[in-house]
Order: sequence, then structure tokens, then C-alpha cells
Amino acid sequence: MDKRDAFRHNVLTSGHRACSGCGEAMAARMVTDLIGPDAIYINATGCLQVFTTHNQQTAWQAPWIHSVFANAAAVAAGVEAAMRARGKEMPVVVQAGDGGTFDIGLQCLSGMIERGHDVLFVCYDNEAYMNTGVQRSSSTPHGVRTTTSPPGRLSQGKHHLKKDVISIIAAHHLPYAATATIAYFPDLKAKVEKALGIKGPRFLHVLSPCPLGWAHDSALSVTVSRLAVETGLFPLLELEHGDLTGVMRLAEQKPVQEYLRLQGRFKHLFNTKQGMEEVRHLQALADAHIRHYGLLEADTEWDTRRAMHSARHGRGGYAQVTVSAPREVKNGG
Amino acid sequence: MAAKLAFEPGSSTAYHTGDWRSQRPFYHDKWPPCGQTCPASEDIQAWLALASDHQWEAAWHKLVARNPFPATMGRVCYHPCESACNRKHLDSAVNIHAMERHLGDMALAHGWAHQPLTPGRQTQRVAVVGAGPAGLSCAFQLARRGYPVTIFDAATEAGGTLRSGIPDYRLPKSVLAREIGAILALGITLKLNTRIGEAICAETLREEFDAVFLAIGAQRPRLYPGDSSQHSVMSGIDFLHRINQGERPALPKQVAVIGGGNTAIDVARCARRLGAEVTVVCAQNPHGTQLGQPGAEIPSSQQEIRQAEAEGIRIRYRTGVRRLVRSGQHLSGLEVARVDQVHDRHGNFDPKLFEGTEEFLPAGLAIFAIGQEVDWSGLESLTQAPGVVLGGDAAGEHRFAVTAVGSGYQGAMSIIAFLTGIPPLREHHEKAEITFKALNLDYYPKQARRGSETAQQRIDGFDELVTGLADNDAEEEADRCLSCGVCFKCDNCWHFCPDAAVIKKADGYEIDYDYCKGCGICAQECPCGHIDMERLTA
Repeated sequence: MDKRDAFRHNVLTSGHRACSGCGEAMAARMVTDLIGPDAIYINATGCLQVFTTHNQQTAWQAPWIHSVFANAAAVAAGVEAAMRARGKEMPVVVQAGDGGTFDIGLQCLSGMIERGHDVLFVCYDNEAYMNTGVQRSSSTPHGVRTTTSPPGRLSQGKHHLKKDVISIIAAHHLPYAATATIAYFPDLKAKVEKALGIKGPRFLHVLSPCPLGWAHDSALSVTVSRLAVETGLFPLLELEHGDLTGVMRLAEQKPVQEYLRLQGRFKHLFNTKQGMEEVRHLQALADAHIRHYGLLEADTEWDTRRAMHSARHGRGGYAQVTVSAPREVKNGG
Repeated sequence: MAAKLAFEPGSSTAYHTGDWRSQRPFYHDKWPPCGQTCPASEDIQAWLALASDHQWEAAWHKLVARNPFPATMGRVCYHPCESACNRKHLDSAVNIHAMERHLGDMALAHGWAHQPLTPGRQTQRVAVVGAGPAGLSCAFQLARRGYPVTIFDAATEAGGTLRSGIPDYRLPKSVLAREIGAILALGITLKLNTRIGEAICAETLREEFDAVFLAIGAQRPRLYPGDSSQHSVMSGIDFLHRINQGERPALPKQVAVIGGGNTAIDVARCARRLGAEVTVVCAQNPHGTQLGQPGAEIPSSQQEIRQAEAEGIRIRYRTGVRRLVRSGQHLSGLEVARVDQVHDRHGNFDPKLFEGTEEFLPAGLAIFAIGQEVDWSGLESLTQAPGVVLGGDAAGEHRFAVTAVGSGYQGAMSIIAFLTGIPPLREHHEKAEITFKALNLDYYPKQARRGSETAQQRIDGFDELVTGLADNDAEEEADRCLSCGVCFKCDNCWHFCPDAAVIKKADGYEIDYDYCKGCGICAQECPCGHIDMERLTA
């Protein structure tokens, strides 16, 4: 057991094989440390599973199980039912990428929510199939270059729009669904903690930049994810029982070009007339998000500037660091 | 690096991903511009950090380590620190001046006492000549280090120019007296009414003491050369000296003040309070008009000039005096003319007047505040003697009170070096500068500066004008410090490291180079530019 850090457990510890500057490793480290080691983690196939469990070595310091690509939510439902049957109570958490959520795992996820299992489903969205070599997924925004949507004479990257998965999830009228990203730790922390306090199916969608697939400097992962929010392309939302209950207000709307220019996956757009049309299309999509969710005028405590204020002595830490035995709870029913 | 093979079962920590690294982050304290600019070398960032943690007394101790006059300097300093503050590019500079005063006032209100640095007592005795800001600062630094110090001053009270040259509405005498009292409480002997060179001869002094700090100030006013009659003409410091003695002389209706320094503005504002219409005649240009050539701008601080103008004082820029116009002995006014160039081609102050631009400026009294000289009489033998250190205005530096405080510290260090034979340590100077560009501004939302810039203008008395910060304003103002280049433990590097390679410790962070992949996120997201990246060569 790695106990180098006295201030957090490091549920996802060092030595994992993620690329340098991996946004997903950062997001998973934050989320799992906020939940703590007293939980059961179910991991769908994907980058996170591949780079954390390499050749008989594991980076996980908590109970962790790998399911196949499609059925992580179904495995979690089974784990949760088994825990209930044995009278134990502890968070059951699914971690999946956008492939395991938007595409391959969507049916099992829908079923799990519909049956009302007490499971937190966390999707780390890096907007393509990254570990197999950057193939487009239904989460990939349009206009993006991937190996299966190469730009060229007839194409400006991916043709189709990014799937609005949070609306699909919200249509299940589940107790809590939220979007978050790595750039705003206090916001992520508040959402994870809120989710942990609610019973029933919960869904957390965390945007996690990928320096490899998005082709940006590895030092810019946090900056890029912040710009995704500030441009309006990735709105930070909270939905309870299907209704919008909170947003991160934008202190100022930044033009999408500021976000696109940092990333090689959009580079081709700036070379041609048709490409610039796609840039304007992405700007229109951002504007539509802002209008739809009222991101500029919402009456909220936070906005994108205030959420960034870095205070002396930090902005909150993680779950209890002491490793305790799983709590035994008398089965009431 | 003793990495195990990649395929042994167990924790992934057996595999050292640090091998992948092509660049390396490291923590590196920088030296913020406020402290670099401070003539007294205060570590401003450090005391603001303590203040923002509400450790007020510790902040005061940190401040007085270099400047035992916070309540005084918080009122009279020209605060070059604020002109250097990186925050001015974001919204407006941190109100360091008001924060300094706040700490000084708190110390006076709570009676905080200076602490000696060493319990031991030294035997070598040091004499300090002049109880002004330089002499007191030097005596303070020596006394904290255990040296027995005796201060000599010709005046009836300690304080030097701080007492005789600064009017009550800027610096109440009680504030100065109490700060001097706190310094003397370290066990310093003060001998007033004792002019060295008269009451005690210079040679005797040098023989009786192991070292001497000579900070006699620049007391002799420079006089207007073109007029032999002294009727209706006086010098600025004599005028201020009389005001500060409590005199309230009757003035003619119109008064002209010649000069552009802080003394000239102080004189003008005092004369205005005595009911006169005051015109300042100054050879230089207004502030902000001679970019890149600050020597051609009026030397008095911008804030002083704003306040003077608000009080109804007229300032004639780029104007020089051709002659005094008299009818018999009576002064009827000045003949002034437009200044061509302020400096000659060697850069010396020597304004040339344009012919044909003469004007008559009516004035019943002309007060010349055109500089002071050092009066070395009786002390000539000391200036070259070994073990004698010069400081303050007498050392020919920029004649600001805070410069004198800094020179007092430097003088004390030179004296200790002379007495012990160990050269003084140079601190700080190996540290890199930090510019505005090195900061990550996403982490600093705009916050309004606290404290009133322009005080309520009253010209009917000599009561203090500027009020201090309220407690809650001081707390918020301390939080505005960007902490340029110095870690303030925001946890960003710790939160954002994807590889859990930043370890949080009780007093900071540590990078675990066994696992750091060198992505550079920590350096990119560090708000204050405390983390540097270093490229590694194979």
C-alpha cells in the first residue's frame, strides 16, 4: 500500500501508464480520492482500465473490478444488489469512458438507471476511442480529426454532432446528474459530494482532455478543459429528476477559436473555407448551449471567474485518509 | 532509479514512470517586485502573507525587521512598491502603503514590543550621530543584535526631519514619538541637545566608541542666489520647522513656493492652511507627461500633488524665477518665465529660461524649497576615519525618509562587519525576478482596492487627513496580494498532478521524481509562477 501522502489516500496511485498530462488520470484521481477507498469501483474497458492495470500491476488502492466494455452498469447493479443482500452499505461507483457510456455501454446504463440501483456512474469523456488509437465515438464533436474521420478533400473531420448524452440520462428522471471538468476542482468536489449524499442512480459526466488524441501540449490539459467551459461548448450543469437545477455561469463568453486553436485535432479547420464554416458552426453550437441553459444570466453563486479564485491554503481536500474496514450496517429490511 | 521489472505482480508503484521524463518541474522561490523596489528592502510579500492569515503580530515583526517605523512610513512614504506591484496590470496595485500603516497602528494600539534577535550582549560600543530615520534605524538594528548604542542629536527631541519637516496633517507627532519610544525601549541611550563638533569634539567621540554611524541629515537650506536681501524670503525647511514647533505665523495674502519636491508641496499646503493663496513654481513637467524621462517630471509624489490641487493650490509647471520684484524692501512678487530645458547636457539640474516669456506673479512672501546641503562643520575629521559609516541624507542618496531607513540598516550591517571582521551576507539577490507575464491570471479574479485614495479635504487645520483602513478592509486588502513567485499553498499542483507525483506535506509540497512524467501541468497551472520547468538533456 502506497502511503506517501498524508493528506489523501491516492485511491489511484502513481506508476500507472497514462500518457504524460493525461486528463482522464487526473479526473479519476480527483473523483476517487473524493469518494475515498471505502467504495467498490467497477471499471468498463477503456483507457482508464488499460493504463491502471498493466501486466499484473494495479494502480488502484481500493476494491476494483474490470467488466467488459458494454456491461459495467449491469455489473454495478449486481454488486449493489449483492451488497444489499449481505447488509453492507458502501458506495458503488462505475467508471467508464465515453465509449463505455455514449456508445457501447448505453443500454446497460439506461437499464441500471431505470431499475433504480444505488450506483454512481462516472463518465470520463475524452471524446474518442483513445487507447485503441483515436477512433471517433458518438461523443466526438463534429469537425474533429480522428483516425476514422480524417479530414481531406471531401471531409472536414467528423460529420456528425456530439451526442447530447446528459439529456438522454436526464430523460430517465434520475435523482442527480451533473457535468463537471478537471479545471474547477471546488465545483467537481461539490458535485461528487452531493452525489454521494443522494440515494439511487446518479450520473457524473467529467470532461477529460487527452493530450494525445486532442493533440495539445501536455501542460495544457487543465487550460483546455477550462476553455471548453468558458466558450460554452461544454456547459457545467446539474439536473435533478430531469430538471435543470444549477449551472456554472460564464463570467465572460470566450470565442470558440481560443479553444480550438490550442488543439491539433481542429487544426485542419483553419486551413480551408469549408473548415472555417465548421468553426462558425461550432461557435453557433456554443451560442445555442449558452442560450438554452442561460449560462450568461443564470442566478448562481459561482461563475467561471469566482470558481477559479485560488485561496491561500487551498480550496478543500479529499475524503478521510485513514483506511478503515468496511462499515457493517445492520440490514433493516 | 531502481525500477523493478514491469511485469511483476503487485502495486504499479513498482514501476517508475519518472523514466519517461524529458523535462522536470521544480519549486523555486522568486523575489517579488515590491520587495525589490522597497528602499528599505522590506519583504513586503512575506508580511502581507502573514497579515492575510490574520497573524497580525507576526506580520508586524516581519515588517519591522527592516523598518521600525511602519506607522510613520505608512503615512509619509512615497511607496515605490506600489508602482512596481504586478497587480496594477490586473486591476490596481495592492494598497501596501495603507497596509503598512494598519500594522503600525495596530502595534501602537496593542503595545507590541520589538524583540532582540540574540540574547547575548556585545561589548563594543557604537555611537550614532543624528536621531533621524537613518540614525534610529541603524541604532535599532544594532540594538536588536546586542550592541550598546548611544544616539546623539543636536535638537531637543528625536525624529530628525520626520519631526521638523513633516506637517501634522500628514504625520501626527504622537505617532512618531511612540514609534521612537518603542525603538529606544530596546535599551538605546539617547543624548539630546548635544551637537557633535561643539558639545563633544569629533575626535573624542571616535576614541570613546568602537564605531560611529554618521547620519546628520541635510539641514542647511540652499538659498536663492540672486537676492541679497532676506526680507519676505525664507527657506522651506525653516518654514516647516517653525510650523512643526507649533508656530502659526501670519502670512501675506499671496505666497509663492519655489520648488517641486515634497518639501515644496508640504510648505504650500501648510501656507494654504494658514489662509494664504498659494502658487507653486516648479521647473519640471506634470506627472506622466515625460515618459522615459522621469527626471523631467515633478519629483513630489502624485498623491501629494492631487491632494494639494484639491486644496486649491495652483501649480505652475515648467516655470522658473527670473528675479524677485521689490519696491524698496517690500516684496511685491516674482518675475517668472517659461523653462526651456530642465537639465543641462550633463544631466545636472539647471533650468534655462526662455527670453520674452516673462510674467509677473504677485506674492508677498517667497518660500524657496530648492534643496538642502549637508553641514559638515566640526565633523570633517570623521568622514574619512576608519569605523565611521555615513548614512541617510548626509550620504548623498535620494533624500526620502524610507531611503534613510534602508541606509540605516545597511550602515548597521557595515558596522557589524567592521567590528567582527566578517563581511555582511548578501541576501535575496540570487533570486530571479518575476514579471507579470509569469503569473497565471486565470486564478486571480479582479478585486477592488481597499482604502480611500483621496482623503476628505480640509484646509482649516492641521489635523491628520488620511484615515487608516478598517480591520475588514485590511483583511481583504492583504488577500489581494498575488504572492508573485512565492508559494501560497493553493494546492493546484497537488490537485492537478495526473500521476500523484506531487506529495503534500505539512509545510508545502514535494515532487516525487520517481513518478513525475514531466507533463508541465503543475508549472502551467501554478498561479504565482513558483514552479519552473527544466529541460533534461540525455
